[in-house]
Amino acid sequence: MKRLVSVLVGILLVTALLHAGGAAEDEVDYPRDDISLIVPFAAGGGTDAVGRALANAVENYLEVPVTVVNRTGGSGAVGMTEGATARPDGYTLTMITREIVSLPLMGLADITADDFELIRLVNMDPALVAVQPDSPYESIHDLLADARENPGDILFASTAAPNFYILTIENDQGVSFNHIAYDGAAEAIPSVIGGHTDFTIANPGEMIGQIEGGELRPLAVMAEERLDALPDIPTFMEEGLDLVSGTWRGIAVPQGTPAEVGDVLEEAFANAVADPSFVEFMENAQLGIHNLGADEFRTFISNDTEVIRSIVDEIDL
Amino acid sequence: MIGLLLEGFTVVFSISIFPLLVTAVAGGIIIGSLPGLTATMGVAVLLPFTFGMDSTAALVMLVGVYIGGIYGGSIAAILLRTPGTPAAAATVMDGHALVLKGEAGKALSVSAISSFIGGFISTVMLITLSPLLARFALRFSAPEYFGLALFGLTIIASVSARNLIKGFLGGLFGLLIATVGLDPVTSYPRFTFGTINLLQGFNIIPVLIGLFAISEAFVQMESLRQTHSNPVRDLSARCLISVREFIRVLPTAVKSGIMGTFIGSIPGAGADIAAFVTYNEARRSSKTPDEFGQGILEGIAAPEAGNNGVTGGALVPLLTLGVPGDAVAAVLLGALIIQGLAPGPLLFTRSAPLVYGLFASMLVANVVMLFLGIIGIRFYARVLQVPKRLIIGIIVFLSMVGAFAMNNSIFDIHVAIGFGVIGYLMRKVDIPLSPIVLAIILGPMAESNLRRAIQMYQGSWSFMYTRPITVAFLVLAVFSLVTAIRVKQRKQGD
Repeated sequence: MKRLVSVLVGILLVTALLHAGGAAEDEVDYPRDDISLIVPFAAGGGTDAVGRALANAVENYLEVPVTVVNRTGGSGAVGMTEGATARPDGYTLTMITREIVSLPLMGLADITADDFELIRLVNMDPALVAVQPDSPYESIHDLLADARENPGDILFASTAAPNFYILTIENDQGVSFNHIAYDGAAEAIPSVIGGHTDFTIANPGEMIGQIEGGELRPLAVMAEERLDALPDIPTFMEEGLDLVSGTWRGIAVPQGTPAEVGDVLEEAFANAVADPSFVEFMENAQLGIHNLGADEFRTFISNDTEVIRSIVDEIDL
Repeated sequence: MIGLLLEGFTVVFSISIFPLLVTAVAGGIIIGSLPGLTATMGVAVLLPFTFGMDSTAALVMLVGVYIGGIYGGSIAAILLRTPGTPAAAATVMDGHALVLKGEAGKALSVSAISSFIGGFISTVMLITLSPLLARFALRFSAPEYFGLALFGLTIIASVSARNLIKGFLGGLFGLLIATVGLDPVTSYPRFTFGTINLLQGFNIIPVLIGLFAISEAFVQMESLRQTHSNPVRDLSARCLISVREFIRVLPTAVKSGIMGTFIGSIPGAGADIAAFVTYNEARRSSKTPDEFGQGILEGIAAPEAGNNGVTGGALVPLLTLGVPGDAVAAVLLGALIIQGLAPGPLLFTRSAPLVYGLFASMLVANVVMLFLGIIGIRFYARVLQVPKRLIIGIIVFLSMVGAFAMNNSIFDIHVAIGFGVIGYLMRKVDIPLSPIVLAIILGPMAESNLRRAIQMYQGSWSFMYTRPITVAFLVLAVFSLVTAIRVKQRKQGD
């Protein structure tokens, strides 16, 4: 018990010290100390997995330890707010997710992507539409046709409320589904497998096990290209629907971080994302690598902001 | 299957794995027994360390901590009246009553033995009946979850037998607390007072730490001046229960273990719910229901077998469907992903040695837990001889660490202290704490599933009488209420 307590106290002290950070840094001399990476979601989830794999890979290039700190709450708002308001010295990095765009638009967070200096976009997972194996829908068009005939009747197992994937489809196609709001894919997927709802939309990593095991059948993916793991599944584009949507994760530091520090980080993360160990991990976990530098990442976010803004305006929260 | 299982045992008893398993179970018991530190937290804290381990070792370690931690929660619940984990909250009632009678050893041994029985049965059911249990779990949709949650809420009546009105008041307070945070359907922030810290509502762990551990520390502080003698200093000479007592609690433990497995196999229903449901059932079916809460052995055997029964059940959806059954299973899912294994129906065929290694290690972990539990009794019970001032200090310190560590959040420390004051005031006016915990656990489940069900049926409430499992739960709920009120009337008649 003594040892456990001392380990815990140790963890606390280290975390505290990391947050205290170093004082005036010499730009040339970065990094000198341990770096912490705030992951705004719980240990064991997809964002956490990407964060840990990335921290592991980037350590080799930064040559200091990079520790993952899970700061959960408010659909990511708590951790990302802490990351945005941390000391801008490059010793507190944040894994930012699509919620940095959606939460402020919904009035659920006070910070936006503008409170961060962007480092790199790392990962993007397209949205995948899936049904039960013996569902009558053989293609995305069957589903949409039925929705046109019976508006509001088809049960959609939503992994979050509001669900931007389905709203994108509804707005574009002028159809409507009956949204059943679940708390994440872990709840939505069993409801489709059990036949209680008609279909769901989630990321490939969240469903690949069930798809390969024959418990779910994918219809189409909202990406520009087909997935490597599911080469027979068409994209929405191929089906004549000009719709691309997905979730993404990237690395950022607080606004005001010295440009030299940002450059060091951008290069280190560019190397980490290309690192074979990271690539292998992401492939195994069915997580898509999307490697964009700071400027492209900024453009990417402003495009996504417009997409989500138009949906939020439409549903009038 | 037998061959694969034997192979699994060979792996578990290998020189690199067995010591790890024993250490993990022992560590789990310690983490679980410390007020404020939970099994879920133990597993989550250890997860990063599995990054560099091989997959069998990683799973063995996490599962060992899980099994040990769920059992360990009962130790502090019994001795200090501060449940180490939410799952042990039901054990407080009869466990601590026995300690006050000077029978701490008995209480601890019933807890260790029942936890073993529950955990072992559950693992055997996991190995042999997984596909069947998974089909059972898949029949649960929103109406069924609502039925289960409503039935669970009626247990408030049976855990507050001394004063129903005060129990219901506690339950209502818990339900109110459970409404804080984003609305589950519209994502509208409720009672968050503009702070992002409350967007996801109160975190159950710091609330529980405050209600039980910190309020207990306040009560103890108050009694420091009044009396110097510890009423429970005297340890029972006999640490183990007699064979007759063992035979008496055995049916309760077996039944609760089986019930725990079923509850665990339903995604979203975990050890905390199982503990209360099995306690309620033991009390309902007992010939002497009014002895519950006064220190009856069955009152420990049921929740302890029930919550450890969840350990195997929770892995059913994880291994068969690739979805986590409870918070710990969610972390295990993360561990599998980090190991590069896609959890899902194919795990059994693709990684059979790993799965059977996991099964074997769970069986062995339960035996190790029983062994450590029994030999540890004399040692744990010494906690009662530690000076009160020191115990209070340790409880408060651990509570702060535990409240902080779940989410690395200072806000959660404030929550724990706030609920410590609330818990203290509740005790002063004799409002029982268990109903509050039950309502906080089950309130969100009842609310979101009722609303989902109404949405699915497009505004109709017909699911209340057209779905057999839902109807069964609603009947059970009425039954549970009537029994509780009857017991109370009989007591008043005495």
